[in-house]
Amino acid sequence: MAMSKDFENAVEGLAQGAAGAEAAAAGPQRGPEADAASHPSVPRLRARFGDAILHHEVVAGDEHVVYVRPERILEILGWLRDDPEERYDFLKDLTAVDYGGGRPLQVVYQLWSIPYRRGLRLKAELPLDALEIDSATRLWHTANWLEREVYDMFGIRFRGHPDLRRILMPENYAEGHPLRKDFPLRGRFSRAEQTRRALSVDLDDIYFPEELEVGGIRYRPTGSGSAGEGPGAAEGGAA
Amino acid sequence: MGMTTGSAGRPLPLVGRGEASWITTKLDYVVNWARRNSLWPMPFGTACCAIEMMAAAASRFDFARFGMERMAFSPRQADLLICAGRVTYKMAPVLRRIWDQMPQPKWAISMGACASSGGVFDVYSMVQGIDTIIPVDVYVPGCPPRPEGLIYGVLLLHEKIKGESVFDRELHRQLRAEDPEAVGKPNLPDEVIQQITGPFGNSTQQNRVSGLVSTGALARPGDRLS
Amino acid sequence: MKTKTVEYLVTRNPELGMDGRPVRVPVLPPGVEPELRGEHMLINIGPQHPATHGVLRLVLELDGETVVRCIPHIGYLHSSFEKLGEYRGWNQIIPLTDRMDYLAPLIYNCAFAMAVEKLMGIEVTERCKVVRVICMELDRIFSHLLWLGTFAMDVGAFTVFLWAFQERERIYRLHERYTGARITTSATRIGGMLADLPPGWTEELQHFIDTFPNTLDQIEALLTNNQIWIGRLRDVGVIGPEEAVNYGLTGPNLRASGVPYDVRKDRPYYDYETYDFDIPVGEHGDCYDRYLVRMEEMRQSLRILQQALDRLPDGPINVDDPRVILPRKTDVMTDMESMIHHFKLVMEGIRVPPGESWFSVESSKGELGMYVVSDGGSKPVRWRVRGPSFVNLSALPRLVEGHMLSDVIAINASLDIVLGEIDR
Repeated sequence: MAMSKDFENAVEGLAQGAAGAEAAAAGPQRGPEADAASHPSVPRLRARFGDAILHHEVVAGDEHVVYVRPERILEILGWLRDDPEERYDFLKDLTAVDYGGGRPLQVVYQLWSIPYRRGLRLKAELPLDALEIDSATRLWHTANWLEREVYDMFGIRFRGHPDLRRILMPENYAEGHPLRKDFPLRGRFSRAEQTRRALSVDLDDIYFPEELEVGGIRYRPTGSGSAGEGPGAAEGGAA
Repeated sequence: MGMTTGSAGRPLPLVGRGEASWITTKLDYVVNWARRNSLWPMPFGTACCAIEMMAAAASRFDFARFGMERMAFSPRQADLLICAGRVTYKMAPVLRRIWDQMPQPKWAISMGACASSGGVFDVYSMVQGIDTIIPVDVYVPGCPPRPEGLIYGVLLLHEKIKGESVFDRELHRQLRAEDPEAVGKPNLPDEVIQQITGPFGNSTQQNRVSGLVSTGALARPGDRLS
Repeated sequence: MKTKTVEYLVTRNPELGMDGRPVRVPVLPPGVEPELRGEHMLINIGPQHPATHGVLRLVLELDGETVVRCIPHIGYLHSSFEKLGEYRGWNQIIPLTDRMDYLAPLIYNCAFAMAVEKLMGIEVTERCKVVRVICMELDRIFSHLLWLGTFAMDVGAFTVFLWAFQERERIYRLHERYTGARITTSATRIGGMLADLPPGWTEELQHFIDTFPNTLDQIEALLTNNQIWIGRLRDVGVIGPEEAVNYGLTGPNLRASGVPYDVRKDRPYYDYETYDFDIPVGEHGDCYDRYLVRMEEMRQSLRILQQALDRLPDGPINVDDPRVILPRKTDVMTDMESMIHHFKLVMEGIRVPPGESWFSVESSKGELGMYVVSDGGSKPVRWRVRGPSFVNLSALPRLVEGHMLSDVIAINASLDIVLGEIDR
C-alpha cells in the first residue's frame, strides 16, 4: 500500500519529536548563538558586563534569551531597569525551571520595557548544591512574592529578601519543595499522614490575635501609636 | 379514630412513653418540615463550584424557593455546610473548625468532584475528598455540577431529613450526637483514608514526567502509594 | 490615539492629604500620657469569608480603625496546576486551564493554546483567530460582570449582583451551546478549537451584543453618579503610575493609575491592531477609577465583538497540520494510515519540539503570561502561568495602608482577584 505524503509527513513529525527527546536527554540544548545586533540591549549588555553574559539566543521565533552569571544578576538587573536607554521598568515574571536529572536550576526573569515596548528574558543557572541568588526585591516590588513562590516551589534562597518564607504551601510543610523533579506528584507522605498533619495545625496560633506569628517571628502588638515598628521591635511595649 | 401502624406492623399508641407514637411521628414530621424548608446554607466556596453555587443562588435558579436565600456566613447560624470547590490540606483545619463551630442539627453537602474525591487533583496539596475531614450527607458530582445538580442534591438532603427523628431517642442520638473528643480530628481512621484515597485509574499510569525522564512505576515507587 | 475625556462631577474629601491618602491623626492629643494611648489590634479576615473573593486570609494590624499593616496569606487553594501539567499531555492541560481562572476560562484556554502554537510555529486559520478573539472578548465581559456583581455586593449594592448574574446566565448559555459546559469550557485545542461554532450561535451572540448595553446603562445609572458609591470609592486605594508599574500591577488596575499599557495594543496578537477599539485609562488610581475603567472596558469589548462577528470568515476552524490535528473520522474508519495517525496522536500525545515560549494575552484581570518549556516530549518540562491576580494582590498591603477597615474590603474587591490563578 502506497503511503501518502500526508501520512509520511505526520509520522515524520511524530518521529522527529521522539528523536528530539533522545537528543534532549543529554541536556537542554542551548540554541545557536544569535546575532547580537538583533536585540538592542544585548550588545550594550555585552559591552558593559563582558563575560557575565554567557549566551544569547532566540527562541520561538522572536523571543530573546540571555544567560548570565548568577553572581552579577543584581548589577545587571539594576542596570537594565535604570539605564535611560534600557528602562526595563516592568518585571513581568520571575520563575525557575527544573530540567531534572541533576541539571542546574534556571532562574528566569521576564522583563519588559513599557516606554520602549520591548522585552528580554534573562536566565541564571544555579547548580543544585548552591541554590542561592541575590534578591531583586529592591529593584521591583513585584519580585517579593514571585521570589517567595520560587523559594517555596524550588528551594532557591534569595539573599536579601525581606521576608523569605513559604507562600503557597503551609508554613510547616515538611515534604520538600514541590516543583522539583525529584518530588513525586502525590507528595512524600501518605494521605493519612498528610491529613493528620494538616489537622494538627493549632488554629489557636492563627486565630487568637494577641500573639500572631508573622514572618516567622512571634509578634505582639506594640504599645505605641506609631506604625514604624516592624516585627523586629516586638520585644518592647506592653506584653 | 383507629390506631396507626408503625414500621413493624404493630399498631402505634397514640401517646407513648419513650417509644414511637402517633404524636411523636407527627411532631417529627413538623420538625423535619421546618428544618428542611429553611436550611440556612453556609457557603464554603473555594473555587469554580462556588461560582455555580452563586449562580444557583441568583435569580435564574434561585435558592430562595427552598428557603435558602439567607446565606449564613457565620457558622454559628448555619444549618448546612455546602463545601463547593477544592479543599487543600492548608484549608483543611479551617473546614474542620467551621464544621465544629456549627451547632446541631447540621448537614454537609460536598459539591463537586474535588470536594467529593479530590477530582482532577490527585496531587500533594489536595484533600482527596472532604469526607476524610467532616461527615458528609450528600455528594453532588460534577465539575462543576450545574445549579440544577446542586438543587437536586439539596432535594436529596430534604428526603434525608424527612427520615430523621427528634423523638426517637436512639435515632436522634445516632444522628445528632457529637463527640467532643473528635473536635479537630479527621473524620475517618487512617486505614480508611488510605483505602479511599489511593491512586486509581489513569492517574497510576501518569508517572512519566515529560520526555526526558521516561520511567516506569517501578523506577519511581514514590509515585505510587500502594 | 484619540482619547475621549469624560467628566464626572465629584466632591473631593477635604480630609485627605495631597497624595489622596487619609492624613494620620494621633489617637490622643499631644500632652496626654503615653500609657493612655491604645495598642494596635491584630485582626484576621478569612480564609473563609464572604468578601475576600475566595480563600484569602488577611491579617490586619489596626490602630483604632485605621490599617497600619496588612499581610495577605494565600495558598489555601494551591492545586499544583504547574506540577500537574508536567504529568499531562499538551492537549490534556487545556481542561486544567479552565479551572485556574474560572471566571474567564476561554481566555486561559486560548492563551495556553497560543503559547504552544507559538512554540511549534503553527499559525491557526483565519476563522480560528476570529473565533478565539470572540471567545476572549466574551469572557472579558463575563469576568467583569462577576467582578461588578461582587464588588457592588461588597460595597453594599445587592441588586447589581442579581442583574449581573442574569446577564452572565446569557453568556453561560453561549458557552454551553458552543462547548457543552457553562464554566469549564476547554474550548481550544493545539491548532484549533474543539469544534466549529454551532448554527445559530452567532445570531444569539448578536442578540446579546444588541441588548447588553441596556443592562450596562441601568447599572451605571444606579452606581456611577451615586454619592454613596463615590464616597466609598473616591480616593480609596490610590497608587501612582510609577509605583503601580514597579508593583507589577497590570490590567485595569494599572490603567486606572494612568499607564496606558494593554497587551492588545503593545504586543498585539490575532490582528488586534486591525480592530477599532480604545483602552480606557484613568487618572487618579483609586477604586472609583478602577470601576470606571472596567465599565468602559465592557463597552469596548462589545465593539470588538461586533467587529469580529462582522468579519468572521468562512473556512476550516482547525489548521491542516497532521502533527497536531486528528484526521477526519471517516478516514480513520476506512483508511489504515489515518487510523495509525489517530492512534499515535491519541496514545502518545502531540509531540512539541524542544524549546520554550512565553506568550502574553490581556486577560480580564491583567496580563496573563504562559511560559511553556518543552524537551521534545509529549508532556511539558515546565508550564508556568504568570497569573495577573497573584501580582496584583501583592500590591494590596501598599494600597490599604492608612485606610479604614471597611476600605480594605472595597480595595480588595476593586483589584478583581481570583484565587484560582493566585494559588494555582
